[in-house]
Amino acid sequence: MRFAFPVLLLVFAAIATLAAGVRSVPVPEIWHALTAFDQTNPLHIVVRDIRLPRLIAGLAAGASLGMAGSIMQSLTRNPLADPGLMGVNAGAAFTIVLGAFLLGRADGGFIAALSFPGAALASLGVFAIGGGVRGETGPVRLTLAGIALNALLMSLVSAIVLTRTEALEVFRFWAAGSLAQANVRPLLEMSTIAALGAGSALLLAPRLEALALGSGLAKGLGTRPGRIQLGALAVVTMLTGAAVSIAGPIAFLGLMVPPLARRISGHTLRFEIMISALFGATILLLADTAGRLLIAPAEIRVGIMTALIGAPVFIWIARRLRPGALT
Amino acid sequence: MTQIVLKTEGLTLGYGDRAVIDDLSMAFPDRQVTSILGPNGCGKSTLLRALARLLRPSRGTVTLDGEDVFSLDTRALARRLAILPQAPNAPDGITVMELIKRGRTPWRGLLAAWSAQDLEKCTAALRHVGLGDQMDRPLNTLSGGQRQRAWIALVLAQDTPYLLLDEPTTWLDLRHQLEVLTLLRERNRRDGTTVITVLHDLNLAARYSDHLVLLGPAGLVATGAPDDVLSEDNLRHAFGLEAMVTPDPVTGTPMIVPR
Amino acid sequence: MKGTLLVIALLLLAILLSLSVGQVMIGPAALWDGLWHGSGPGALFLRVLRGPGVGTALGAGAVLGMSGAIFQILLRNPLASPDVMGFTSGAGLAAIWGVSAGIALPIPLFSAIGGLVAAGAVILLATDRNGSQPPLTLILVGLGVGFFAAAASSFIMTRLPHQEATEAQRWLTGSLAARNWGHALQVLGLGAALTFALALQVRSLALLELGDDLAAGLGTRISRSRGLLALTGVLLAATGVAVAGPLPFIALMAAPLGARLTGARHPAGRLASAAAAGAIITVLADLAARAAIPGLQLPVGVMTGILGAPYLIWLLVREMETGDL
Repeated sequence: MRFAFPVLLLVFAAIATLAAGVRSVPVPEIWHALTAFDQTNPLHIVVRDIRLPRLIAGLAAGASLGMAGSIMQSLTRNPLADPGLMGVNAGAAFTIVLGAFLLGRADGGFIAALSFPGAALASLGVFAIGGGVRGETGPVRLTLAGIALNALLMSLVSAIVLTRTEALEVFRFWAAGSLAQANVRPLLEMSTIAALGAGSALLLAPRLEALALGSGLAKGLGTRPGRIQLGALAVVTMLTGAAVSIAGPIAFLGLMVPPLARRISGHTLRFEIMISALFGATILLLADTAGRLLIAPAEIRVGIMTALIGAPVFIWIARRLRPGALT
Repeated sequence: MTQIVLKTEGLTLGYGDRAVIDDLSMAFPDRQVTSILGPNGCGKSTLLRALARLLRPSRGTVTLDGEDVFSLDTRALARRLAILPQAPNAPDGITVMELIKRGRTPWRGLLAAWSAQDLEKCTAALRHVGLGDQMDRPLNTLSGGQRQRAWIALVLAQDTPYLLLDEPTTWLDLRHQLEVLTLLRERNRRDGTTVITVLHDLNLAARYSDHLVLLGPAGLVATGAPDDVLSEDNLRHAFGLEAMVTPDPVTGTPMIVPR
Repeated sequence: MKGTLLVIALLLLAILLSLSVGQVMIGPAALWDGLWHGSGPGALFLRVLRGPGVGTALGAGAVLGMSGAIFQILLRNPLASPDVMGFTSGAGLAAIWGVSAGIALPIPLFSAIGGLVAAGAVILLATDRNGSQPPLTLILVGLGVGFFAAAASSFIMTRLPHQEATEAQRWLTGSLAARNWGHALQVLGLGAALTFALALQVRSLALLELGDDLAAGLGTRISRSRGLLALTGVLLAATGVAVAGPLPFIALMAAPLGARLTGARHPAGRLASAAAAGAIITVLADLAARAAIPGLQLPVGVMTGILGAPYLIWLLVREMETGDL
């Protein structure tokens, strides 16, 4: 029953994504476009060729980032953890951009898959720098380690992207993600990987919960902390890598979704992850739709929208951290 | 005959809505060593901070020579009254002399260079605390006792007739506690400096002070000479402590032995 | 003394290198010749092609370095700096808003207002129930304000026409391309005025460093001194941002690097070495941005990001080992 509200919201967001835009499409027409496609009807073409891929991209990327945020926050016990702020997004973007640059090819399936090694290295890196290996990560340290890594990788991404002359559009995509390129992104492959990541996340959740009690107690409960941490980082890598391949680096979604999800799920991590997936997709779709409507016919990239919404959430969480909990 | 210059009048102090000191009127005798005593949380440090205009009273006044300390120019006041707070902050790598020199700030003109008098006061202060030969050492290489004496040298270099210290002996071992208190009393006897400290140790306070202020949970319990203040009744009021008071076998000052 | 000479030598070397190296190499002899005779290729590079950029880099680096030193001393935290705490992003946002809205007022005015608004927001939002601002909360809230300002800048850019958007993008990354003597004089002039104002406050900074209570006991008016110092710090940062964009990490790195080079301990010395170190880093980063990839000028902010982020990481690892953080 707890799922009813998040699911309803997501359905609403999905319909809004298909219906709203420079050309709004009435809901019955959407239904027809999906069930009885008519090639000659421009509205049908808009729905099927432009907005449907966008919807799928938003669902996959949003759900992935929401889940990745939830897992990172649980793993690091840091309410400010987010794959975007911690450099995992930037790691994925960096290897994609580097691959495209070295191979001199535009983004194909192979190059999109390069996001995974980057995401893996970055998530390992930030966890190590932030002191996660010794199990003494304070929120400030981890957040700053992530931000430093993020800044480094984003600088490298800009350095590579700006070497090309047609840079601005490409740069913008890699600076803050967008769903506008959904129809040229490897949606099917990446959604499959995201789904695998989601499954593993749900399997891993109870062990992560044990780990959240401290590694000593976790060992006492019969788990192996090192393995769980590695497993969690692998899941974060799969989810984030997939999301970045689809939509570019989108920050703050993983930050703001889990606290919202917890209001419904309580502190059961498995529920939290599921609700985070629903909320992540919902917020990303709504933010994207708002970005398309606000200054139509131009559009605000969804990565900027999530940052505009997410930065105040970041401040709100930072304010609530008690000074004693800061180190 | 004791002259009195530093006074509180109907002083009420607190953080937020909570009053720690309520309606306190009392005087601190000039040219004497006064110790403020009392249980944890009774407002000893709060009172000292108010005397040094670090905390604005919610009601009442602190007056120096009849003038409200808050109406005085803060630099002018700094030439008359120095305070060493409980946990000052040591800048990274600072040497002893560099630290002491900052105590001369209230005496220096806006763009003036170091005067011979400034430097003389600093070295005198260092000699006084027994760090005359350590002036170029970084503060953080000193022992705990030496470090505390360096901080005291800073307020000595400030060269004020009033010297306020908040628990100057905390964290020190007994020998260093005695060193610090001896040094403060010497300063008082030699230069006539009025010394007001917050102390925890009743027996040491009795040994080294001319005058005691005993605070309890409900405000001022007693004030006066150690022999009068440290009575069994007063200790019960202030600390809820059953104790016997006997003369100290060494100095004859009151000594507290809990029952 | 030895440290001071080293810093001066490094600064001169950085300037010389930056004037000489680029797509066209030009030797010190030709530069010297150009300096005195005012003709020939040396003069061209000195006066027109590279001189203004180097001058701007010097000024911007120095003001950002001093700004960082002020906040690091004031908050007693090596992570406190106007770039980490979002002031430079706020200054950048205001500048880009002013330009995009076509308001004909000087950019430094916008960046100063933006920096001050960001600083005010950070202080306001970081104030806890007791009315105090714990340094770590200031830093975290500042990060958040910086994120917001950066996102808002990107939002404004979205609405600009393509050509201007490209230029704005470079500027927001931090850029010293195509700077003229106007930029250099602006940052050096405003910087000098603010440095003078700062010199008058060094003494209270030296006292505040000992803790608020002791500083008050020594005759400092705490809130007024803090406020004035923070104001000076924000204005210094805004002055740098106005000519070079919100260059990341210079303010964060300059003070510790400068103090390490000169061994300065008194705030006056630390501010001066931070200015010198900031100038050295910026000039060299600009050089690297110009010369790293032949035929292409990267924004200098990309280089300071590549240099500065590892420094921040190193700082965190070290603090973790010493247990300071």
